[in-house]
Amino acid sequence: MSLLKPFSKLPELNTANILLVENEEQFQQILAETIVLLKKNVNVNVRLARSLPLPIENEKFRPRIDLVVFIINLTSELSYQSAEVSLKFLDPDYFLGKVCFLVTNARNASVPPERLISVRKLVASLHCPLLFAEDQMTDGVNTAAHRLLAILKVTSGHVPMATGLYLSSLTRCTVPSDIDQQNFD
Amino acid sequence: MDQSMKRTLQRLIRRIPFQLLKTTLSKWAHILEEDLLLLDFTQPKCLFTENLLSLCEGKGTTVKHITELEMIYIIENPNQVMWRAFQLLDAREDAPSIELTQFKEQFKAHLTELNSHVSIKIKKHTDEAVWIRIAWGDNFTKPNHLKPTYAVHHLQTPYVFVTGLTVKHKPLLNQALVLTTRYGSIKDASLSGRNLVAIRDLLMRQYQQVFPTKHPKPLQEKNHVPTNPNIEKEQIENTENRLQMACEAFGDGTLPQLQKAVYQLETKFRDNSNRTLTGSDEPFRGVVEFTSTNLLESLRHAVSSGIASTPVTPLLSSITQKGRNYFVVTDKGV
Repeated sequence: MSLLKPFSKLPELNTANILLVENEEQFQQILAETIVLLKKNVNVNVRLARSLPLPIENEKFRPRIDLVVFIINLTSELSYQSAEVSLKFLDPDYFLGKVCFLVTNARNASVPPERLISVRKLVASLHCPLLFAEDQMTDGVNTAAHRLLAILKVTSGHVPMATGLYLSSLTRCTVPSDIDQQNFD
Repeated sequence: MDQSMKRTLQRLIRRIPFQLLKTTLSKWAHILEEDLLLLDFTQPKCLFTENLLSLCEGKGTTVKHITELEMIYIIENPNQVMWRAFQLLDAREDAPSIELTQFKEQFKAHLTELNSHVSIKIKKHTDEAVWIRIAWGDNFTKPNHLKPTYAVHHLQTPYVFVTGLTVKHKPLLNQALVLTTRYGSIKDASLSGRNLVAIRDLLMRQYQQVFPTKHPKPLQEKNHVPTNPNIEKEQIENTENRLQMACEAFGDGTLPQLQKAVYQLETKFRDNSNRTLTGSDEPFRGVVEFTSTNLLESLRHAVSSGIASTPVTPLLSSITQKGRNYFVVTDKGV
């Protein structure tokens, strides 16, 4: 079992690396292409994986990863379970602001409401931010790419006076208490 | 032209969709081109049928002509009905030598020997297929042309595709086929579908297959898409492996269109929390059915995108390997 560690490698100049983890590999690919094409002043590398742990053969060439994004497709139970299993292969240091979750298909009518609640509980217990994305339209993908890039800039240290830990303590997901939830419904 | 013939023709015209009506009728040798010009294809169907009926009345149309029109329609559009595949077993030595005229004569002779009140029509299609139309009757009724049975047989192959066959007439047709084709017996091939060409291709393995190989080089070349240097896949080998396995199991390129696969389970119920069901001697019965407009394509996608686990379970891969889409699963295996 090889843990992925955030501080085991030296950072490179003007470079930020993002790792997208998705079981289904479709949205991941589109999102990666969009992120790479965005206009930005740092060199962004995207690495794609289906699940963690990452293969040991690539260990040597893998740069330091500044942000790990778990993409969960709410219509598929498997997607959630796979993300849950992958979390165990991440060093605890990552949870100090270098992990975020991206949920797709949350508006789909066929999604059981319990699934979103269980995702929120999981994310809240890890003190990570939770983002929602629309994966069917280019606009939605663009927005998601912009958001991730903004977070990535912070976590890779390209924004002065801000750190990933600082950002995620402001943006982390919380689970509404039952009373709030009822009012909301 | 009597009442029953009129009904048959009316029903047939009703079955043919409007856009196919003109092409189908123009292939019907009974109606000449001048007659076609008299018919108004813009009319509503009921009026059009009336006109056609009066035209046929004048020409002295017989049952034979109507069945001919029906065959033209079915041969051109075989995908409107459900086809079942049957497999002939134990070929005799002279089985490969049979040719069309012989087949025609002998089939008619064998079937009329079993039931003299049938009307048989045999036609050869361009793609080497022999189309047989049988209207069944018995001692007290005339052959029923409203519910005919169609059988398609490619000479020199052990497969027959049948539609519209009732349980009552099955043994008769089977015996006639076995005797005519010079085989020992016939069995249900457990394959059915709406697309006749697809189930034929599946049984005769006429789709692009991929065989297991240790050097999956050509596949890599084929899938080479220029990607951005800033995007790197961590588990790239995994992806290629899955694609290779999916193609090995279901074939490459366009796959035959199957509509469904049915698994009938007759296995022991295993769940420790439920004592009554686990202990019973009777097997637990259940049916699992997969449906799709193109089932094989869906399954291949499910495997290659990682939704289904690899290696492909033999239950799914035997759809192509055994050419079946109906399985009974018992405790001993498929």
